[in-house]
Amino acid sequence: MRWGMVVDLSKCVRCYACIAACRIEHFLPEGMNWPRLMALETGGDKPAVATYSLRCNQCQDAPCVEVCPTGATYQRPDGIIAIDQDKCVGCRYCVIACPYQNRTFLSKDKAKGFFPESGPTPYEEAGNKLYKHQVGTTEKCNFCAERIDAGLAKGLKPGIDRDATPACVNTCPAQALTFGDLDDPDSEVSKLIRENDGFQLHPEYGTDPSVFFIDKKIGQTNKKTNKTKKDDKSRRATAGSVAEK
Amino acid sequence: MEAHEWMINYTRQTEWIDRRGIWLWIAFYAGGLGGGLYLVSLFFNSLEGMFISWLIIAVIKGGAHLVYLGKPLRFWRIVTRPQSSWLARGILFVLGFILFGAIQLALSFWMPGGAAEVVFKVLAGAAALAVTVYTGFVLNTVKAVPFWNSTLLPVLFVLCGVLGGFGLSVVIALSGGSINLDIAEAGSRWLLIINALLIAVYLWAAANRAPTGKQSVLEQMRGGLALFFWGGIVVLGIIIPLLIGFFGQFAGNGASALLITGVACEIIGGLALRYCVLKAGAYKPLVARSA
Repeated sequence: MRWGMVVDLSKCVRCYACIAACRIEHFLPEGMNWPRLMALETGGDKPAVATYSLRCNQCQDAPCVEVCPTGATYQRPDGIIAIDQDKCVGCRYCVIACPYQNRTFLSKDKAKGFFPESGPTPYEEAGNKLYKHQVGTTEKCNFCAERIDAGLAKGLKPGIDRDATPACVNTCPAQALTFGDLDDPDSEVSKLIRENDGFQLHPEYGTDPSVFFIDKKIGQTNKKTNKTKKDDKSRRATAGSVAEK
Repeated sequence: MEAHEWMINYTRQTEWIDRRGIWLWIAFYAGGLGGGLYLVSLFFNSLEGMFISWLIIAVIKGGAHLVYLGKPLRFWRIVTRPQSSWLARGILFVLGFILFGAIQLALSFWMPGGAAEVVFKVLAGAAALAVTVYTGFVLNTVKAVPFWNSTLLPVLFVLCGVLGGFGLSVVIALSGGSINLDIAEAGSRWLLIINALLIAVYLWAAANRAPTGKQSVLEQMRGGLALFFWGGIVVLGIIIPLLIGFFGQFAGNGASALLITGVACEIIGGLALRYCVLKAGAYKPLVARSA
């Protein structure tokens, strides 16, 4: 079993709902964002806007796991890269080693609170009890591992049942995010990757990310003419993998 | 529409040099300097040098590492993953040096000449070399920063550390320590030349490794780090110490004040080198900007 995500670049409408859902789900401190959204123009002759919804790639050969000197960062059997906050010493080697810059060190200035002058809000107080963030340690997206675990314990299927699926996937109004088991060839994510030439960011690092990107517009136009296929190849080539060859 | 610079342009790493990251820069340099001085002191059999190197590593390097950590009280956990993490290995080397060095210093002071002293000199020497070299491996294993992705980096850090060690040994010799001043000066001169050549080769290789590597080099030579590179590394770190060194060679022993100035410049140069290496380290764009 290997949990993975597919981001459809053609569907994302840049509404930031995934980021908001994550913030609420994990009671993220003011200065902390686990997923991030980036939009940029792509394509030469036919400019278009691609929006990359980014988060920890849960790499199968994760540099952060390798460099962590304490074992605080580890890989679960289901492929998710998790952090044991009680073991993290805050050396930030994982922040440096992540080629995708998806880790954030929680410093004091990032955890001042939303209204520091008037103390923590009820929301923050609830967060401190339910999902404690430790200043001086590193954080990142964990694919809502706690939702997955709780859902599996109830016999639910992540990616299909909402209670076992990451919050960002549930909340995406454009259904640009799909979650599922990459090891299952019949899962929705596997089909999407297979049928739409899914690609990973910077595969040349050999990290084997579990987050794939597809662009259904490209997939559709590929079937029409060779010319558009060529255009699409050059467009996809901008997406990291050949960025610096 | 928002296009984040860190995704479509190369971006500098900041965690290990900006704000509190400055402590890591000090720790990295202190490790090189302390380890280098210990190796040079072993060569001269200088107890003073060995003691100073032990203090540099145990107090300055160890202290700077502790100050930098987000959770310093969990410091002991950092040694639990030496099988894969160069940082864990490095801290083990530091702890090994502190332990073996302390025993060796005690043996050399109270029971010199025994077999145990020799054994602990070998052990502490090996640990000192490891302390000097490991920071290079910590950086060069980061795949996403082309400027650091070089096998030359550990070599550069070792030579820079030994150069600083020779520099401090000159000061110890001038202070009446048991070090041959002429040999210490000659060692400094040769290492300065070798270091200068190695820095040039390192920059040339980095500039040809990847566009981001080239950007890192340009940042040092023409960008915001130019003052540190040209002023700190080239002028203060290489040219002035070389001029003072050659003046000492051809005109007899230079004045003590001049030699100490040269050593101070060498140390500033070493600090500037570590600073530039850390500060210029930049990531490849996450998603390349299209034409």
